[in-house]
Amino acid sequence: MSIPFPSEEWIKAYKDAINTNPAYKTAGADWTHGVVALVAKAKPPALPQDVGIWLDLAKGVCYDAKLVTVEEAAKAPFCITGEYDRWKQVIRKELDPIKGMMQGKLKLKGDLPTIVRAVKASQELVNSAGMVDTAFMDE
Amino acid sequence: MKGNWNRIVGIDLGSGKTHDISLPEAVWRDLIGGSGVGAWLFMQHTAPKTDPLAPENPLMILAGPIVGTTLAGSSRFAVCARSPLTGIWGEGTCGGNFGPMLKSCGVDGLYITGRAASPVYLFVEDGKVSIRDAADLWGKDTYETGDMLAKRHDEKRARVICIGPAGENLIKYANINNDKGDVIGRTGMGAVMGSKKVKAVVVLGTQKVQVADQAAYDAIRKDVLEKIKNSVPADSLHSMGTDASMDLGMMTGDIPIRNWSVGEDFDLSAALGGPTMTEKFLVKPAACLYCTIACKRVMKVADGPFAMEEGPGPEYETCCSLGTGLHNKNAESVLKANELANKLGMDTITLGSTLAFAMDCFEKGIINEKDTGGVRLRFGEVDGVFKMMEMIARRDGFGDVLAEGSRAAAARIGKGASDLAVHVKGLELPYHDPHGWHGMGLAYMMSTRGACHLQHLVHPIEQGMVFWDGVGLKENYDGQKSEGKGVLVRIAEDLGVPCNAMVLCNFVAWTLYPPDFPAILKAVTGFDYDIQSYLGCGARIWLLKRGLSNLMGVTSRDDVLPPKILAPYKEGAAAGSVPDQDVLRKEYYKARGIEADGKPSKAALDAAGGLDEMAKRLYG
Ligand code: SF4
Repeated sequence: MSIPFPSEEWIKAYKDAINTNPAYKTAGADWTHGVVALVAKAKPPALPQDVGIWLDLAKGVCYDAKLVTVEEAAKAPFCITGEYDRWKQVIRKELDPIKGMMQGKLKLKGDLPTIVRAVKASQELVNSAGMVDTAFMDE
Repeated sequence: MKGNWNRIVGIDLGSGKTHDISLPEAVWRDLIGGSGVGAWLFMQHTAPKTDPLAPENPLMILAGPIVGTTLAGSSRFAVCARSPLTGIWGEGTCGGNFGPMLKSCGVDGLYITGRAASPVYLFVEDGKVSIRDAADLWGKDTYETGDMLAKRHDEKRARVICIGPAGENLIKYANINNDKGDVIGRTGMGAVMGSKKVKAVVVLGTQKVQVADQAAYDAIRKDVLEKIKNSVPADSLHSMGTDASMDLGMMTGDIPIRNWSVGEDFDLSAALGGPTMTEKFLVKPAACLYCTIACKRVMKVADGPFAMEEGPGPEYETCCSLGTGLHNKNAESVLKANELANKLGMDTITLGSTLAFAMDCFEKGIINEKDTGGVRLRFGEVDGVFKMMEMIARRDGFGDVLAEGSRAAAARIGKGASDLAVHVKGLELPYHDPHGWHGMGLAYMMSTRGACHLQHLVHPIEQGMVFWDGVGLKENYDGQKSEGKGVLVRIAEDLGVPCNAMVLCNFVAWTLYPPDFPAILKAVTGFDYDIQSYLGCGARIWLLKRGLSNLMGVTSRDDVLPPKILAPYKEGAAAGSVPDQDVLRKEYYKARGIEADGKPSKAALDAAGGLDEMAKRLYG
């Protein structure tokens, strides 16, 4: 059954998808730069308020994934913020997240060279999200 | 009209006389400046088939209307002539600090013809030109020449462009150097300068460029700075230089490897990509005058066989041309080879591509050490690269063959070598791979100076670095599809060609939106540009240059991609993908209004307006 984005349940499924994606395991093997947070902006009623997704990533493994407030998400060394509809495009692979960042559709806070170096891992993180059977509550 | 002075100084090196050239205001309005005006001047005064190295081929050093203002990205200038490398219309633009000082002399440019009896340099002080002896400078490299001349005239304020030994020896891809790290690289303008025995041009001025609408200009200038501040591409260029795109490029099939033979090698991007180069070698970022992006690199190699004093570091193109293209993972050697190319005065794109071509020939047994004078030219080995660079710059032995560029070298070598030369119309491809990005392939096919990545905005549009609605572009393009790219390329040219003419840096352009371009021009010049008339200028300038190249011999048979690009890779993001050049050409010809023989149609010329003279030349 499809899981609503971005619920606790979806985040748990996302963590499992990351950890069972062998391509992420390889591409993310060098990642030692800490937490990546994703912030989805509110889109009532599907998403009544801004939420953050906290991904504790190290060496190709996602150790923890949880729903956090925007304030908490902002404390992560890397935080990518986008409108609900942009994340929907990313999950559906209609928007390449790197292109999204370049075009200002997704906003990145964090060290750009580190992200650039980890571009393959970032792509696999997104591919992992695409593996979750996702329901968007505005549809 | 503001922005331009409407004064170009004509210099006849044969007689030593100078004269002022002023143009009808409509020429400035319709062709903007820079290479647009250069093409018009060429059409008026020069037989198209003039030998590129003959005294009659004019070397035109031209600023644009925004140059000399304080707008970010405006400190550029263009140099144009018929190219000795390609035999067609040639031009290049360059950042740094020369353009604004040229305008401060109260002139828009220099139109240099003739040939001096012995080496000279030109000293332009507040509009007065003097021709001075350069006997003591001839033979010196560009770094030394620039330093000597700045010291001689005004160390703090004098700005210098010069050629190195490569330009003196008429290497067909000799460049012109400004301030060590900025170059007019492509199409061999340094050889044209060398053929005239002009070692350098020094400018020193005090005049201030006036803008037509100060309030509008101030608002735009502020807005541009704000947009740069909020732009991720600008941030990325600032923190990692233009080489920021290598890691991402490896993911998308954009990085040419081993003379365009291998589709992917992540070890190469890990060794030569922006993050690594920054971490290992960056001393500080540097900028062209007034630019807050500061994409230039000051780098240093502390020790080892390729130790390099603090100085200009390689841009993305050079990290590819002297790195990935040669399958060379040694980053230090890329920095050192870049420095050597700068000092000798050679375009690193054509140089690297010609070396990669020679390595390919060597490895395939088409040439051997007997041909090369004992130099081993093998991928991944750098010794031969340094030796051959010196030999090329001095036209020594096999260096004399490679000094002609890959097309001519292949013709001289024979034995199927032409299949390994990667050029369009004689200009070697820059380092964005059409296997992954078919639109870029079409842009190479159709650019008016041969394979070019800068006179249009195809790269940011096709790769999604920008999204510009309202001008007929789609939000997303699939790089590996040829269909739909004809219109993309035409629009990207019409947007980019006028940037090139005014002369605005492409990277600054990436941070803006299409309506910003005419707004900038309007505020500076006072001409009533809007987006439609702006795009019209782009089309007009493109057609004018294309017409010139047609008159120099270009036909539809020249609008083709080289065999290497039409052979698929086995690996990587672009595995199996090749541009369909027939689809691309057909779509583009329709979108641009090109006849089957490759000439702009009479209707397209008429619709562009202001091109009656070109129409007459092409159609009688
Ligand atoms: S972006 Fe780079 S090349 Fe362009 S003006 Fe700025 S410093 Fe110069």
